Amino acid sequence: MSLHKAAGLAWTSDIAGAAVFAWGIATALEAQLAGGHDTAKGAALMLLGGLLRLTSQYGAQVLGFDEGRAVAQARRAALYPRLLGLAGPAAPALGATATLGIDHVAAEQARAARFAPVRKAATLAPVLVAIVIALASWVAALILLATLILFVFGMIVAGGAARTAADRQMASITALSALYVDRLRHLPIIRHFAAEDRIARAAGAAAEDVAVRTIAVLRAAFLSSAILEFFAALSVALVAVYCGFSLLGMLPFPAPENLDFRAAFFVLVLAPEFYLPMHRLAAAYHEKQLGEAAEKALAEVPEPMNLPRTGKAGGAIALRGAVVEWPGHRIGPVDLALSARGLVCITGPTGSGKTSLLAALAGQVAPSEGMIETLPADAIAWAGQVPLLLPTTLEDNLRLGRPDADAATVAEAVHAVGLDALLAKRADGLATLIDHHGAWLSGGERRRLGLARALIADRALLLADEPTADLDAQSAEQIIALLVAEAQRRAVVVATHDERLAAVADTVIAL
Amino acid sequence: MIGPMIGRRFPLPLPPRVRSRIALGLLAALAAGAGGLVLLALSGWFITAAALAGASGAAAIAAFNYLLPSAAIRGLAVVRTAARYGERLWSHEAALHALAGLRGALFTRLALADGRTAPDLASGDASARLIGDIAALEDLIVRRPGIPAAAGTMLVGLGAAALAGWLAALLLAGVLALLLAALALLPPRLSAASAAAAAASTAALRAMLIDYAAARSEIITYGLAPRVTALLVAETDRLDAAQRQLARIEAASGGLLIAGSAIASAAVLLTSTAAAPLTALAVLAASATVEAVAAIARSSVREAAVSEGTERLRVLLSLPEPERAATPPTAEPLPIGIGTASVAPGSRVALTGPSGSGKTRVIEALAGLRASAHALTLGGTPLAAMPAATIRAQVALAPQEPMLIAGTVADNLRLARPSVDAAAMEAALRTAQLWARVERMPQGLDTLLGEDGGVLSGGERKRLSIARALLAERPWLLLDEPSEGLDGATEAALVTALDAWLAARGTGLVIASHRAAPLALARTHLPVSALS
Repeated sequence: MSLHKAAGLAWTSDIAGAAVFAWGIATALEAQLAGGHDTAKGAALMLLGGLLRLTSQYGAQVLGFDEGRAVAQARRAALYPRLLGLAGPAAPALGATATLGIDHVAAEQARAARFAPVRKAATLAPVLVAIVIALASWVAALILLATLILFVFGMIVAGGAARTAADRQMASITALSALYVDRLRHLPIIRHFAAEDRIARAAGAAAEDVAVRTIAVLRAAFLSSAILEFFAALSVALVAVYCGFSLLGMLPFPAPENLDFRAAFFVLVLAPEFYLPMHRLAAAYHEKQLGEAAEKALAEVPEPMNLPRTGKAGGAIALRGAVVEWPGHRIGPVDLALSARGLVCITGPTGSGKTSLLAALAGQVAPSEGMIETLPADAIAWAGQVPLLLPTTLEDNLRLGRPDADAATVAEAVHAVGLDALLAKRADGLATLIDHHGAWLSGGERRRLGLARALIADRALLLADEPTADLDAQSAEQIIALLVAEAQRRAVVVATHDERLAAVADTVIAL
Repeated sequence: MIGPMIGRRFPLPLPPRVRSRIALGLLAALAAGAGGLVLLALSGWFITAAALAGASGAAAIAAFNYLLPSAAIRGLAVVRTAARYGERLWSHEAALHALAGLRGALFTRLALADGRTAPDLASGDASARLIGDIAALEDLIVRRPGIPAAAGTMLVGLGAAALAGWLAALLLAGVLALLLAALALLPPRLSAASAAAAAASTAALRAMLIDYAAARSEIITYGLAPRVTALLVAETDRLDAAQRQLARIEAASGGLLIAGSAIASAAVLLTSTAAAPLTALAVLAASATVEAVAAIARSSVREAAVSEGTERLRVLLSLPEPERAATPPTAEPLPIGIGTASVAPGSRVALTGPSGSGKTRVIEALAGLRASAHALTLGGTPLAAMPAATIRAQVALAPQEPMLIAGTVADNLRLARPSVDAAAMEAALRTAQLWARVERMPQGLDTLLGEDGGVLSGGERKRLSIARALLAERPWLLLDEPSEGLDGATEAALVTALDAWLAARGTGLVIASHRAAPLALARTHLPVSALS
């Protein structure tokens, strides 16, 4: 909060430098007008004024950045666990997750850094300028205030239309991102049907469409600034004409005040400063619009389900007429009662909802109909399709589900999933560092790592998503044997379209 | 000097529409910059001259022409406003159209690249480049009209300063030259490292978020959200630190301009040899002239971010300019060679072997989706030596994963053949046993499917993908597990319909399946194990 004031105040303090500069010019020119050549004092004041402005503006921008950073930091700290703590269909898609976590946060940050401080200054600074000008010429101050009223009226008219356009634009950027992710993902099949030309044209047209929408947003924003510029220019022109005619003694009405040259010139040089804070505000208006739209989009990220993290491991696991659905999709109703041991296979082609059903079994997705009874999170192990890799050692990655697992358990699991050959190739063995891309791991190896991690976690319920995909026949047989063996000790539920795995299951749920 | 330097760096030639908007923006920017400068300078002259006349008595007042300057002042106020609006609008229009064009062009290059040899860009990475890195180039165009316009404004300002004497003009020119040199040289050098760090952090953050989001269920199950968040926050801290440095450099550049403005106007004041009114004009003009440098300074500050964006686009830009084949590849059916077996056009062959034995890899290689690991030929030529376009003209694939694009049912079908009409779509969907389902949908063929075929069940997606392959009407149909996820009755109907369809057209078939019913479509069986 205190930081917030600081940047706004720094922008406001810019007026002091402007006033000193204006006074310097007026003083020097008055001396010259009087026939003297003692302009040094005025020039010194001009330089001092410049120095003051430099300090204020530099400080204001740096402080403003810090304010924006503080907003972004607070937002990310709350947003990231939320973005990653959501499972199943309610969670934003991969591309959308990145847009929300990076671009939308950056839009909010820019608003806090560039718009919020100048808005603070925009309310206080014009009043201060008017007061300082009134000290030299109250009529000039009155002229400025009169144009201000007209300006505010103009802004009210122009401002409303801009907001809806900004919202639409934000939505179209997100849609464009999603379209590009989808088309790039399906490039192989698009190329196969020789449709790349058309699809590329459509992608180009979509980008063009977003450009057109953006221009509509900008048009509204620029209209607001044009109104501002008009009144800023008009106020300077009116002040100049008033001062000129006043000094000539040719005002068409009785002179309301006795204006000397120094005061008149001071007023003229300072007059543009009256609208400058609002000019800065207008320059940051785009940031405000994008920031607000981003804030709205971020507020729409659903809260993760409140899962019990710990609890009784021996409870029942059952689906009773459970239906999981999201717009355009519906899985179920599914009935299933799991005993403490046994192998259940969920089959069906990609996209039929196998992973979502697994997530529902993990209690991560609420059913829209029926009910799901399951274990607390700490009694469940998950071996995913693209297992999480953290930038640490292979061993740490294996122990993510149970950091205190002993070395023997880790070695046993590594052997069981058939990763020992891979380890033998690495000089550092388990201490080999990996990054989140898993650069030197193949898809199948990464999957086996996830399965080993789940085994090390040693939970009552093991959920595995396509454990045999990307594996050669021999490795797949090994994994199937492993899962069958595990099913003697715990409940194992597997989502798969591998019929060899389905063949050995105790129960098969076909979606 | 700086203008063309930046102009050359936009990765592709700008279309005429963009160039004309840049030109309009330039004219408007010049009118706005020079108009604002003259407005201020003329106002200063007017007041000072009026004061001089007012002090010199009635005769001087009567001789003073006040109408022209006061009208000019009001006129300039209007011109400046309109010109500034035009400058903003045209320069942004130019930029946004240029970026949209670039996105489309780069996507085209990526799409037209040969899938077997194209750089394997994870789609998250490629789309980050197409969306994020290209957006960083916006400034390149937006600032473009401002630079020559600023140069023009500076000339007008120097002319105004010359009214106060040649020394005043010379000093102003000196200050301008120093500022331009400092702003052109210092910020890019100082900010290069930070801009690179910021871009790298943003890219890393994007990749991390996408990778972590793909592993959400694991994160939840093992309670890893705090740990993963800490990793992300560590990356954002690096990003913030780099951006803070950039913000400081930008602020310092602004400070340099303020100092230059004060110094230039004080110098003009001290060295003016003219009378007070022209001195007033020259001093205010000097101060406004330095402000014109701001347009150039902004470009210079953002230069680093722009070149960083261009650098990251290099992978896409280095893709060859798409070449379209002069003549469409022959659709004359060619025999397929699988290992030692040669399969004549119109034949039907099943690849057999246990799951994981590589049937899908053979089918995908035949479809030109991947480099082949087996001895596969088309018309006697090894597949690897065959142009992608020729392979595609021969085969139509219904892959194991249906690979449906986000869009409508019709969009997916049109992927295979753009000119296909509703009747042909219906016929293909009937053969694939999906028409009844599509007919029941509220929007029929125009029903939006969502990502990966959203509203359809797994088996339905598969059948849509089969209908799509039928519509391509290639000499060869490649089916990979066509009846996966189907009940027995539907499967039997599908097999019967496909049999009739293949027979009617004399289309060849290569099929891989672990189910008996679809395998009955084939006349010969080839064990995949014999291939390697």
